[in-house]
Amino acid sequence: MDTQYIRNFSIVAHIDHGKSTLADRMLEITGTVSARDAKEQLLDSMDLERERGITIKASAVTMNYVYEGHTYMLNLIDTPGHVDFHYEVSRALAACEGALLVVDATQGVEAQTVANAYLAIESGAELMGVINKADLPAAQPDVVGEEIEHILGVRKNECFLISAKTGMGVREVLDSICELMPAPKDRSREKTQALIFDSHCDEYRGVICYVRIFAGKLQLKQKIRFMGAKRTYIITEIGKFCPKMKPTGELGTGEVGYVIANIKQLADVTVGDTITDDAQPADKAMERYAPPMQMVFSDFYPGNNTDYPKLRAAFDKLALNDASFSFVPQNSPALGFGFRCGFLGLLHMEIIQERLERENDIDVIQTAPSVSYEVMARDGKITRIESPTQLPDPGHIEELREPIVRLEIITTTDTIGGIMKLAEDRRCKLMKTDYLSPTRVMMEYRAPLAEIVYDFYDLLKGISHGYATMDYEFKCFEKSNLVKIDFLINGTPVDALSLIVHRDNAEPRGRKLIIKLRRAIPRHQFEIPLQVAIGGKIIARETIKAFRKDVTAKLYGGDVTRKMKVLKKQKEGKKRMKSVGNVQIPQKAFMSILDTSD
Amino acid sequence: MTESGSQTDQDSLGLYVHIPFCTSKCAYCAFYSEPVHRHDTHRLMQAIHTELAQHDTRSVCTAYIGGGSPSSLPTSELTDLVKAIMSRCPDLAEFTVECNPGQVTLARLKQWHDLGVNRLSMGAQSFDAGELRCLGRSHDADTIKTAVHLARQAGFNNLSLDLIFAICGSTPATWQASLNQAIALHPEHISAYALTLEPGTPLAEAVAQGRQLAVDESTDMAMYEQAIAALTQAGYEQYEISNFARPGYTCRHNLGTWLNHPYLGIGPSAASSSGTTRTQNFSDIKTYVAAMESGVSPVETSVATRPMDRICETAVLNLRTRHGIDVQRFRQVTGQDPHVLFAGPIRRYCEQGLLTIEENRIFLTARALPIADSVLCDFAAL
Repeated sequence: MDTQYIRNFSIVAHIDHGKSTLADRMLEITGTVSARDAKEQLLDSMDLERERGITIKASAVTMNYVYEGHTYMLNLIDTPGHVDFHYEVSRALAACEGALLVVDATQGVEAQTVANAYLAIESGAELMGVINKADLPAAQPDVVGEEIEHILGVRKNECFLISAKTGMGVREVLDSICELMPAPKDRSREKTQALIFDSHCDEYRGVICYVRIFAGKLQLKQKIRFMGAKRTYIITEIGKFCPKMKPTGELGTGEVGYVIANIKQLADVTVGDTITDDAQPADKAMERYAPPMQMVFSDFYPGNNTDYPKLRAAFDKLALNDASFSFVPQNSPALGFGFRCGFLGLLHMEIIQERLERENDIDVIQTAPSVSYEVMARDGKITRIESPTQLPDPGHIEELREPIVRLEIITTTDTIGGIMKLAEDRRCKLMKTDYLSPTRVMMEYRAPLAEIVYDFYDLLKGISHGYATMDYEFKCFEKSNLVKIDFLINGTPVDALSLIVHRDNAEPRGRKLIIKLRRAIPRHQFEIPLQVAIGGKIIARETIKAFRKDVTAKLYGGDVTRKMKVLKKQKEGKKRMKSVGNVQIPQKAFMSILDTSD
Repeated sequence: MTESGSQTDQDSLGLYVHIPFCTSKCAYCAFYSEPVHRHDTHRLMQAIHTELAQHDTRSVCTAYIGGGSPSSLPTSELTDLVKAIMSRCPDLAEFTVECNPGQVTLARLKQWHDLGVNRLSMGAQSFDAGELRCLGRSHDADTIKTAVHLARQAGFNNLSLDLIFAICGSTPATWQASLNQAIALHPEHISAYALTLEPGTPLAEAVAQGRQLAVDESTDMAMYEQAIAALTQAGYEQYEISNFARPGYTCRHNLGTWLNHPYLGIGPSAASSSGTTRTQNFSDIKTYVAAMESGVSPVETSVATRPMDRICETAVLNLRTRHGIDVQRFRQVTGQDPHVLFAGPIRRYCEQGLLTIEENRIFLTARALPIADSVLCDFAAL
């Protein structure tokens, strides 16, 4: 196809601002799917995504649209809307020439809108402003238009007012995409360069690569080379997403589609790699993406040691379709064999955890999530640790560095005070305050990741009555005065409960946490001493009293049904527990060490 | 009668008849009962006779009339019921009637005994006036003593006393006094129950509102151990968590329950277990009577027992007895090896000294008794 009639674009938006609804309307208007066939929010195909109303992985669809007598090929590349998946956003944007920036007319610009818009600008994509839900009584398209202009530099009078729900204004957006958005460069005569911007693994067909052709073309049976991985394959199927996979025999310059080439494992494909022709390769690969950075780590242990192989199999399966999730075997002196898992962020962790439970019947105990730290030893050697348990003896440490992020918070002006207090408590440094409008403000902080990764977002939402939004981006590792807090249960140090905190609040934190731990561990048949230590020195003790009696006095014929129910429930309550010596520690105890409430 | 601690023969059928009447409701009681004067007892008894006649009771080995308090019924109503059971259950080996010490006369006791009742279970509860008041019992210590003497006079040689410990305001000393007085009466059987504060009972409310003070867990536990020591010392063998008997005098009817044998429950709120189904009759007297009079089933709930649930029930119930799970018999009855089925909990609790395996039995250790539920729950499901 002539590249002048091709448009490749993404939609970037904050969660719930209507990105998926807009995509659905476009699919209908272009006749790609009939309204009747369209499942609500077609692009979000995983159940979990649908349930949570978020898009986790990028996906693509090709639509045909007639504008001024010409048929245009519009390739929409969907992007995730959550902070954890920035990486996926940037790789989707790299395959596009333009992006629609969707903002809810009733909500205004949110932190994630800003973060994603910046990514689009960085990638060189042409931004088009779209103000959605403009038909609602609470809509403030003028104010929102000003915010867009002020923060993102997209002119207010060039923004489209639409309602993705009713379809109002969507045709005008499609027209403008054809008219105004840049077409791909015509490099059809050059040697083949195709960017892999996503991939997933199909049980029957192996790996499916999502590609954008930048130069030359790809066709069926062609021998191709993955320039980064230095592997060659024969294309066994090639086609477009319409939105189901439809073989086309070839993909030309500027086009977006998929390639199947008998690739078994997802690990064999690096997203961002360049595909070229094996016989006539391009001179060089396209610019690589920075690899995704895992920011959050947590250990997973089978509740029952015999489930270890089952847990491994389950992780294998999850990793098959998620290149940003990783796991390595881990042996804790207290908890036995398990896995240390790495995630892009907390939401990513929760999603993996939920899928693990949903798709497998394994009782799993998870430790509190931790960030990674850089340790500079006395000899100057720098290592990265992903768990407090990996921290070397303090005597060997010259310097301990923690990850710092740039944190953006957008909120209403009346909640600034509360948010500043929260940020201060969490060691965040205010860098910049920017008024979007008389009532809304954007604050930029330098924040230690460890302080915002767990409950910060929930607290932020609470303080701002749900209005504030946040987004963050990793900046660097920075030296910090950190210490490790350890807990001993019944005299045994439980490594999986250790955490790294700033020295200034280590002691009060330790004292608070040991009480939380006491409440989280059920009474046993014996007394359980709890101790908390900082740098090997015990700073506080607590005792879990023994329970003395737990027996039903009377159990005769008429009581059996009721009693069995009660006993089953009691047994159920013992699930998701891990034994350390004779002490059964429930899942909630492992998480209680991150609880900062009073 | 079988030997103490051993098991009764297989698949003996038990019959339970529930008499939902009391002269007054006790403060701690959560059983279904209503004041006797408010109802037409005759109509209810007719309904009970009708229900009884609907079942094949020829293989019944043990019968138990409980409540409420059966002794609150008019004399003739109760004797008619006893007669009916005697005639319908030719192979009856044990026939227990529950009675309230304040409601017995020599004439009544003699009549029951002569008709074939061979075991009496008397709700003594305590010998302490304050504790009896707290429980809302209408009798006193002397009434209990008199009732026991009358029962002996009437010819009963199998007598059980129910006692309750850890009653609000009780102390190890008052409990010891009650135990001593009970032992002095030489009953063949004693049931010693910890007070259970059942939600919704006046006593539970009094505790919740601070008008009564519940006995703390450590004292409750100490009182339990005190009972076991005193009763064992006096020649009683503990054969179940709350039950003690002189050799040869275990309650065969209740042992049937703990062996998970089938039983037939007659009367309002009575429960039955056929082995594959558990049913329960309507609790409300009027509804029950109306059902019987109009010829429809009195069953309110009927739940099919899945085979695996039944196996778990058997394990839990068996473990309440000091004999525990009889491995061979368990295999015969369920087709499963308990050592395989419950390998995890058995290993864990043996290690913790809460279970013992001896010859052919798996049973709770003495240390496990006060915390039995925390062990049994791991046998309640697989």
